[in-house]
Amino acid sequence: MKFIDPHIHVTSRTTDDYEAMAAAGVAAIIEPAFWLGQPRTNVGSFQDYFSSLVGFEKFRAAQFGIRHYCTIGLNSKEANNEALAEQVMELMPLFLAKENVVAVGEIGFDDMTAAEEKYLRIQLEMAKEVNLPILIHTPHRNKKQGTYRSMDIIEEHEIPPHMVVIDHNNEETCEEVLRRGYWTAFTIYPKTKMGNERMVEVVKKYGAERIIIDSSADWGVSDPLAVPKTGNLMLERGIPKEHVELTCYKNALAAYGQSGQFEESDWLSPEPIDQRSLFEGNSVLRGGQTPRVDKPEDDRIIQ
Amino acid sequence: MSYTPIQLLENWILRQASDAGQAWLDTQREAVASGDPKSLYLAFGFAPRKIGKADLELTERDLNDAAESRPGWQPQTWTIDQAARVLLLMSLPSEDDAAYLATIEKLFQTAEIREQICLYQALQLLPHQELFDDRLAEGIRTNIKTVFCAIAHCNPLPMELMSEPAWNQMVLKALFIGAALDPIEGLDQRVNPELARMLIDFAHERRAAKRPIPVELWRVAAPFADEIALEDMKALYTSGENLEKSAIALALVSTALDEADEILKTDPEVAKRAESGDITWRGIAEQAYASEN
Repeated sequence: MKFIDPHIHVTSRTTDDYEAMAAAGVAAIIEPAFWLGQPRTNVGSFQDYFSSLVGFEKFRAAQFGIRHYCTIGLNSKEANNEALAEQVMELMPLFLAKENVVAVGEIGFDDMTAAEEKYLRIQLEMAKEVNLPILIHTPHRNKKQGTYRSMDIIEEHEIPPHMVVIDHNNEETCEEVLRRGYWTAFTIYPKTKMGNERMVEVVKKYGAERIIIDSSADWGVSDPLAVPKTGNLMLERGIPKEHVELTCYKNALAAYGQSGQFEESDWLSPEPIDQRSLFEGNSVLRGGQTPRVDKPEDDRIIQ
Repeated sequence: MSYTPIQLLENWILRQASDAGQAWLDTQREAVASGDPKSLYLAFGFAPRKIGKADLELTERDLNDAAESRPGWQPQTWTIDQAARVLLLMSLPSEDDAAYLATIEKLFQTAEIREQICLYQALQLLPHQELFDDRLAEGIRTNIKTVFCAIAHCNPLPMELMSEPAWNQMVLKALFIGAALDPIEGLDQRVNPELARMLIDFAHERRAAKRPIPVELWRVAAPFADEIALEDMKALYTSGENLEKSAIALALVSTALDEADEILKTDPEVAKRAESGDITWRGIAEQAYASEN
């Protein structure tokens, strides 16, 4: 089975992770722009980070046969540095039109301050202007209020729910998010967001329509194989295969495919021009195959 | 009848673009010509989705026209969005060279992979191209091979602008990352003793590590072959694979050294093919990198 992880911060992950993801069937990933743990103090840091999302990281993923896409946006935490946030807004036009940018995100609330709301609104308008989907990060604290407030604001801006993915849901928030017609994403992240046994129960209860599963694996203790592990667990626990395909592949494809920048053919049968520019004529990676990673018999030997 | 690069690009796009794509490009070029960098940034990004990503369908005549309009220009690998993007760049007002440089530099700093490829190939046609020597030297520091090749291959600018240290790094790095030397414009004209020394050291290092030596290396090293190089070539000429032997024969034939003749005598069959023009550097490069084509 092929998987899409539509939310993973691979900049923070190792090549071992990439190899394991490819081996587990992860064909495509989306890396949302986010907070790096260390607060940025200069707009140049944002510029270089965004550039690496559309440039080097996409190249690095391709070396493992994984197609890399990203979302561009100012995260909620750093929206509180208003002087910097203003400069980041000026950068956005340089990046929103890039190929492989599949959404504006991840944007939303962290502390639910006025500044966070201001930059959420500005970026919602930008997304409308370039007709891109939106990825909403919902806060860790005060999650329910933050989630509902985000949806209210989106509706004020007259953005249809099918253009929006609301992420990091849990059992408390998902019912309302589904009811209002949004793509409803769950992050399988150890000890903080969702465990995958709970996820199985959610799919049993609500079905698979508009539900998306991701890992949000980053610089914290997280699991870049969360999507394939959850998919396999769902199969083991009797969830129908179609539901597993929807939640671990097809729904993400449908949601972010609305950008016009995210198509299955990109990894199943890449255009020759894309192969030329991305895979460096590496014939092993042609036709969307995963790379063969030769493991030496004896792993103490480094050739 | 000779054409300017702008006229050629316009004609090639006209042949292949949809009406909507063509209309979009015309509108954007006007907006960019008004001097607003933001319209350039957006149009530059949107070009592939508005005009497509197909390869330009160029005839032999088109390629000749290109070489006539800008010596060294080889657009055979160009795509239609690349052509459109270059027209957008050429629409930007350029009277103020500092401002022009700053805007193009901003695009470089924020470019994704295909944009980087496009920009490095575009420079040879842009106004103030002589100001981009530092950008070229920076560009070859990339780890992304296709970006490296956009600078090193089928591009006259490195030959025209690069300082000797930058040029030498480019040639050496090409061998390190498995990029062919044959498509480097000016390769034989810009050979120099320092480059040959680096390549000879590199070859010797690889032999010591029992790792293969890129066969094209000898083309650039042989004109300045010293004792060490001759010893390595002699050993490889005796024990090497066919392709390696052909390359060494061709390299030795091009030198006028007595020692070279001595080595060639050990396998006169291959030597004869090298002397008769039966073996060429292009053919060797094509075989060496066959799996990539």
